[in-house]
Amino acid sequence: MAKGRELKGRIKSVENTRKITRTMEMVATSKMKRAMDRVIAARPYAQALGDVMSRLYSPELAERFPLLRQPAQTRRAAVILITGNRGLSGAFNANLIRESRNLIARLEREGVEVELHAVGRKGLGYYRYIGRPVASSRIDIGDRPTAANAAEIVDGVMEAFASRRLDAVYIVHAHFRSAISTPPTTEKILPVTPPGEDRGKQQDYLLFPSAEEILSSLLPSYVRNMVYRALVENTAAFYSAQRTAMKNATDNATDMLNILRRTYNRARQANITQEIAEIVGGASALQG
Amino acid sequence: MLTVTVISPEAVLFEGDTDSVVAPAYDGEVGILTGHAPMMTLLGKGVLRLGTGGGTRSFSVEGGFLQVVENQVRVVTERAAVA
Repeated sequence: MAKGRELKGRIKSVENTRKITRTMEMVATSKMKRAMDRVIAARPYAQALGDVMSRLYSPELAERFPLLRQPAQTRRAAVILITGNRGLSGAFNANLIRESRNLIARLEREGVEVELHAVGRKGLGYYRYIGRPVASSRIDIGDRPTAANAAEIVDGVMEAFASRRLDAVYIVHAHFRSAISTPPTTEKILPVTPPGEDRGKQQDYLLFPSAEEILSSLLPSYVRNMVYRALVENTAAFYSAQRTAMKNATDNATDMLNILRRTYNRARQANITQEIAEIVGGASALQG
Repeated sequence: MLTVTVISPEAVLFEGDTDSVVAPAYDGEVGILTGHAPMMTLLGKGVLRLGTGGGTRSFSVEGGFLQVVENQVRVVTERAAVA
């Protein structure tokens, strides 16, 4: 029964693993739901800001704002890479890192100098590992990113762009399209491209202090909000990826258990059959 | 009656009807009652007060803007907390 005991041990161990992955799946599911609520709660603000921006924006105004400046030539760009702080989420972080590598490679082929800002432990770890300098990093942003976090991340970059030290800023994050589709996405956050829908649809407002000043004060909010949205979406996407990964692990463990149990039972039965055969053989030898 | 929404980056903090709105604009407080002309103003830092029949509700806000169109008031602020 040596083989049987070995199998029994493996069955136990797979059962334990399945317990863990199933629990992690449930935890990820509830965290994903909460993160999704935050994605939805962030929409009205983005919508309101976008509305106003597109109302006030006009190409003549654009030339006067540093954040709307369209550089003739891009020499230096910043890439903000957002990843998860943890793993056990399938290819989630790897996909984001690949997306950022492709982007950096493309920019560098065009002769652009790229500085990298890493948000999230996994992305930072990767670029440290391959020995690429990282301009700034954050690994302390947890499950509930705040608007203040977004401001901390982007304010320095925004200033660099305004003072012409940077010509473009990209952000790489997971876009939360739905619970099962969270593709890695690259967004160009600077120079700002105002949402275009009802551009020029000027309503007669009393504007205080003036369209120009409102725009100049809302532009930074708009950029911060893009980063905030990237952070919340990324969190939701991370948990949905983790949930999928853990669900797969649980399913695999179930399949494995079925096979192991079958093998075990077969071995046990073979054993019994053999014992019976031995007894019958012994008895018939005595009779003979 | 004014329909007011108070929106911060993280969430919608208030949505409902009020009688009056007093908001901290960039250059001092601005009060809004029914029938106000369409207006958009930047907000400074201070306390936003919504007067309803039952009392007032206050929020501390900072930055962003306030928009009034046809008795719809939208307060969109960068930082907001119930005060």
